[in-house]
Amino acid sequence: MSDVLGDFIRALRASDVRVSTSETIDAGDVIQLVGYDDRQVLKDALGQVLAKSEEEKTSFDETFDRYFAFDQFKNQKAANGNADTEAEGGDGEGDAESGQQESDQQGQSGQSGEGQQGEGGPSSGGGSGGATEAGEGAATERDLVALLERGDQTELQMALAEGAREAQLNNIRLFTQRGLYTRRIMEAMGLDGLNEEIDRRQANGNEAGAENLREARDGLREQVRDYVEKQLEIFTANAGRQLREEVLSQVRLTNVDRSDIKIIRQLVRKMAKKLVALHSRRRKVTQRGVLDVRRTIRANIEFDGLLFHTIWKKKKVDRPKVMAICDVSGSVAQVSRFLLMFLYSMQEVLPDVRSFAFSGRLGEVTDLFKTEDIEMAMATALQEHGGGSTDYGKAFEDFTDLALDDIDHRTTILILGDARSNYGDPRSDLLHKVHERARRVIWLNPEGRSMWNSGDSEMRRLQPYCDKAVTCASLKELERVVSEILRHAS
Amino acid sequence: MSSSTNAIDEIRSGFEKSGYICSSQIATSIFLAQRLQKPLLIEGPPGVGKTELAKATAELVGKPLIRLQCYEGLDEAKALYEWKYGKQLLYTQVLKEKLGDLMTGAHGLKESMARLHDFDDTFFSEEFLEPRPLLKALWQPGGAVLLIDEIDKSDDEFEAFLLELLADYQISVPELGTIKARTTPIVFLTSNNTREIGDALKRRCLHLYIPFPEAALEKKIIAARVPEASEKLREQLVSFVQGLRELDLKKKPAVSETIDWARTLVLLHAEDLGVDMVRETLNVLLKFQDDIENVDGELNALTSKAQAAAE
Repeated sequence: MSDVLGDFIRALRASDVRVSTSETIDAGDVIQLVGYDDRQVLKDALGQVLAKSEEEKTSFDETFDRYFAFDQFKNQKAANGNADTEAEGGDGEGDAESGQQESDQQGQSGQSGEGQQGEGGPSSGGGSGGATEAGEGAATERDLVALLERGDQTELQMALAEGAREAQLNNIRLFTQRGLYTRRIMEAMGLDGLNEEIDRRQANGNEAGAENLREARDGLREQVRDYVEKQLEIFTANAGRQLREEVLSQVRLTNVDRSDIKIIRQLVRKMAKKLVALHSRRRKVTQRGVLDVRRTIRANIEFDGLLFHTIWKKKKVDRPKVMAICDVSGSVAQVSRFLLMFLYSMQEVLPDVRSFAFSGRLGEVTDLFKTEDIEMAMATALQEHGGGSTDYGKAFEDFTDLALDDIDHRTTILILGDARSNYGDPRSDLLHKVHERARRVIWLNPEGRSMWNSGDSEMRRLQPYCDKAVTCASLKELERVVSEILRHAS
Repeated sequence: MSSSTNAIDEIRSGFEKSGYICSSQIATSIFLAQRLQKPLLIEGPPGVGKTELAKATAELVGKPLIRLQCYEGLDEAKALYEWKYGKQLLYTQVLKEKLGDLMTGAHGLKESMARLHDFDDTFFSEEFLEPRPLLKALWQPGGAVLLIDEIDKSDDEFEAFLLELLADYQISVPELGTIKARTTPIVFLTSNNTREIGDALKRRCLHLYIPFPEAALEKKIIAARVPEASEKLREQLVSFVQGLRELDLKKKPAVSETIDWARTLVLLHAEDLGVDMVRETLNVLLKFQDDIENVDGELNALTSKAQAAAE
């Protein structure tokens, strides 16, 4: 596998495209097949092997364009990677690639083909034995002086790419590392030897020669820094976002900054997708009573048609019905928003979600959330049902009026709220009724357990009628709860 | 110009001869599927020619097309193989009669059993196997083009069951062992994305997404499929449909609808796109009453834009 491809796949993974090992091997086959010379064909072909959904295709296109920005420079890097595989005496694949590449190269500059071999050789040798490294290092140092004096850009860039490889530039993660890597690459290219040469010339009175070299050195440093920055961009395109996502999934939703809401929405969608994939495998239960005649006969042929084994028809179990009752007042609204978003992102495994919103009075918002964009729906729900002081008693009254008849042994009731009823009667008798009919009642409280029952919180009186009462303040906790509903589906 | 680019161009022109106009991306995917011998998973909105691609490929390579339409509840008995029960029952009858002859002169149970074991067992053998599409594709002597249509409509179990076939072009029949493909078939899977396809399946396939075609490509398609339409009409109707796709619709018109519409217009002897003509034939393009009503206000603007585009 060539370095170019390996690095490209790392860049892809950094931008959220999932690439498995077997797909990497396929990509290697593809490159061997189509070569590097037709960019569009290469892009189409790699895209079909590596990106396997519409979103991934978009990320792939972006990454491809950034990575194989076909300025002269990247071309060099590609050639260099191939030369390595060849020098290592690797598989036939490398040979075929660089063979094609070389002819390409020669078109650009006559010498680069040889330069490539020369560079590839010593570097792979250096990897195998530390002792030989010093000697070769000296060789490259002398080379650097000669290179700078010749001023051949192509060769210089070859050397630069090689230096980057030695300095393991593809490990760069933070922009503060730019200086470090620039220096490392310069050193790998033979900076020390260059400095010595400058000093020697100065001492010998060759002022002009020293000045020339010094200028060339500064120019080179500039080039290396540019290169490092470009690579940084490629390898860390998404690292910042990934870190943020990780933090955001654990932070209390009530404390989330407005500017992060967009990211959280994407995150919810991602998590929901994961859950859907996890739970879409439908469970089957054997239902006694209906004989599968065809399969029974088939199974009993060996007994001369006597029915020893009976085979029963299987029936799939329905998905759970979920009713979500959400407090949309004040700080709880934020959590409600994401719970509803979660539930509605999972239509595939939770086709039957009914949602109710309340603060003073309660109303059904199922259709609202099904048809409108989540932000719009939330705003409308807040307008219709928000405002007024929270009254759990009234809310439960409205809920039993609206939906009690529809609750059956398959219904899971989710209640999201802080149970702060402004010292009004929370009507735990109504919740009791609901609890008797429903499969499960789960209470999600955005407040920490230590805050329950303090002040006007009525958890004490409501909790006995819940199968489960949990704190639920962050996305991670939301995910856990939703996943649990699905796990007990059948 | 490398050999692969040549081969891709060849595929493309081959398709064009049989009336299937495609982008270079599609041609590349066919090239890869053939060379890497990997199944090709095709996704895209309905009506962009996913199934058509498989048919065109079958024509191009000159192999029979074997099609398996997926639906909920499809199982291996319908997709892969089934035993011929009737024949098997008859076989046991015949066996019983022959058993007497076989056992004459045998002393004791032990010898009888030994003789029975020597007896050729053909109860589970290929003669009693009824091949269904997948097995047929593997058994086809010269190879075949296998189209597994709308894989997203099948169950998860069926998807898992396909994995062996897709990875190694072989299937396991518990009573017989594995059956390998005589010639590796070219396999197409299509999906309308009604549900997410599993990662395991995706990993084994090349993935091609066919979007709605660009205007130039669509014009070529119409020219190939409905040659009776005048060039002016072609320009106009393609530009109209392209404009229509930019609106917010329940179901956007696909290529198949554009072709149908072009045929309709030709049938009505339309030389030119007029607002009234469009309004009367709009139900060919849009399949939801809501969409037709929503678009009504835009018709004038869209039509005049289409007319301007053709000038």
